[in-house]
Amino acid sequence: MEKELVEYIAKSLVDDPGGVAVNVIEGEKSTILELKVAEADIGKVIGKHGRIAKAVRTILSAASSKSGKRVVLEILD
Amino acid sequence: MSVKEFEGRNEEEAINKAIESLGLDRDEIDVEIVETRKAPFLFGGGRVRIRVHLEEDRQPGEDEAGDRQPMDNLRHQESRPTRQRDNRRPRGDRQPREGRGPRPQPAPEPVREPLPAEGEFENSMVEYLQGLVERMGIPGRVGIGFREDRKLGLNIDTPDSGILIGKKGQTLEALQVIANIAASRMKEGAERIIVDTQNYRSRHEQSLVRMARQTAQQVRRTRQSRLLEAMNPFERRLVHTALAEEGDIETASEGDGLYKRIRVIYKGPGK
Repeated sequence: MEKELVEYIAKSLVDDPGGVAVNVIEGEKSTILELKVAEADIGKVIGKHGRIAKAVRTILSAASSKSGKRVVLEILD
Repeated sequence: MSVKEFEGRNEEEAINKAIESLGLDRDEIDVEIVETRKAPFLFGGGRVRIRVHLEEDRQPGEDEAGDRQPMDNLRHQESRPTRQRDNRRPRGDRQPREGRGPRPQPAPEPVREPLPAEGEFENSMVEYLQGLVERMGIPGRVGIGFREDRKLGLNIDTPDSGILIGKKGQTLEALQVIANIAASRMKEGAERIIVDTQNYRSRHEQSLVRMARQTAQQVRRTRQSRLLEAMNPFERRLVHTALAEEGDIETASEGDGLYKRIRVIYKGPGK
């Protein structure tokens, strides 16, 4: 579910939606989501001072608050 | 929603007691002053009784696994009149409110039905935010809340507004950041998008103004300046504006960056 959420948001932020990929690493207590976007789009998902990345993480942790499992978003570059 | 009453020597003390015993932030409770009894002498002996409205949907949403309200409650919540107790206090009326009898009931705010989306841009924005909320696993309906000069209000009607609002409104802010980027990508020079749910923004604004006035009262009484919590520029402007009406009080921002703190200062009568 969180994977679809991150994909959805990331695709709306970038110029190249085809370059968006999310890899899920399930841990025992937490899930790591690795977000990959086209190189030219990295700034668009991070934003100035990480403002956009922070917003995405905030939305993600709200979405995962019900399951009680921690979700960590990593943006690969 | 439940109601609890607290008492203190003054408004602040009563509110602090409420916050302590409920374990909530000032932001998360809605306070109504039920009774103010002025002290017979200059100091001490006064009593203030307050009523705290606890709204399930404003409790810290983070740990509420499985505590979801059925969708049926939505109608009920929506038709709840918004309390606008700030407006009851005409400016300059700083006299104690004793002997006024029961507080007049505020006129219920008419239920605002969402406006139908018009045109391609509005439709895509509603659809976009709807898709986002759905992927968060939150049931809800996105509609147009208002249209204003260069602003478009998107309202999320949901029984899970606590989760969408987040601590101090940070999840709502995050949704708004993302929605604004999406908007500017959809249309050049797009309107500014304001994301709201269950009237959180107007309730929050009212509670900020109320808090500012209470602080002003206290500063006036003690002659000691007070530093408020860090606020964003919009919130600070609300506080500055509210306290500009109080002639003997001055406000100044302190700190750096986007989030600054306001100091409330007593400057005395006249001038």
